[in-house]
Amino acid sequence: MSAAPRFGKVATGVAQKQLEAFGQSTPGVVSAVLLSADGFEVASLQVGKSGAERLAAMGSSLGAIGSAIAKEAGIVECNRMIIEADSGTVVIMHVPDAKPPMSLAIVANGASVLGQLLWAARNCCSAIGRAFRE
Amino acid sequence: MSGADSEFKIVFTGPMGVGKTTAIAAISDEAPVSTDVFNTDREAFDKALTTAGLDYGHIALDDGTAVRLYGTPGQARFRFMWDILGLNAAGVIVLIDASQSDALVQLDHFVDAFGSGKRTPIVIGVGRLDHAGAPPLDAFSQRLETRGLTLPVFGVDVRRRPDVLLLVDTLLCLIETADPTRLTA
Repeated sequence: MSAAPRFGKVATGVAQKQLEAFGQSTPGVVSAVLLSADGFEVASLQVGKSGAERLAAMGSSLGAIGSAIAKEAGIVECNRMIIEADSGTVVIMHVPDAKPPMSLAIVANGASVLGQLLWAARNCCSAIGRAFRE
Repeated sequence: MSGADSEFKIVFTGPMGVGKTTAIAAISDEAPVSTDVFNTDREAFDKALTTAGLDYGHIALDDGTAVRLYGTPGQARFRFMWDILGLNAAGVIVLIDASQSDALVQLDHFVDAFGSGKRTPIVIGVGRLDHAGAPPLDAFSQRLETRGLTLPVFGVDVRRRPDVLLLVDTLLCLIETADPTRLTA
């Protein structure tokens, strides 16, 4: 099911363009999904519909668990989570000030450089956050 | 470690808005861990927050048994969390909201998703039975019986600690009957 109308067409369009620019300018980005905190796809890059829906749901669960752990540890708030696997990286990054709350899930391959990926993702999230700020 | 004589894991599941987080909070000895997030799907259920990851609580019973309580998200898109949380669970409590129009279908759905009681003992708690148009409690038992399943079904108010404890105690009995070694594993 597409939840796009729930998130505002203009802001969603801006987010889509930001994702595309991020994908083009950042080495190693395989796919990315902008997701609402409760697990709906808002916009996506280089991933099929079913894959985007799954990544959105999984990204929101991870983000929610990350926030719970940060709270438990007294180091609120969880800004990003990084999963480093054998052949790539997944980053779940909180989009600042977005309403409703959102995160960006990024899948990158071995060609990515973590620092560069995080820096570009943060810039992308900031731009998306501005679009969804009320 | 809790130092309990035996400790095991049970899972609370059921559709969105049925009160899984509330049920765990009602009986947990400590403030439960919750992963509530802003709910954008007000059509599915009109509430401010919804669980995206899991709920976690803990209860020590008088006989020295300690129970870890896990709650799943209710929405089907979080199905992968059901499988993760269901792993190694000694038993499952399925909560159903009788006021939801598809309550009986939801019953089938969640009971099937957790092995129909054949793999892991299941107890059913049905809430909001007093809602106008809600099926009677018997309808839920009969629904299971038509499918050859005999599972304990109780009417509950998940805000009430004794109601939730009744579900947990019943599940413990089922677990012990099904596999007496499981409680000491």
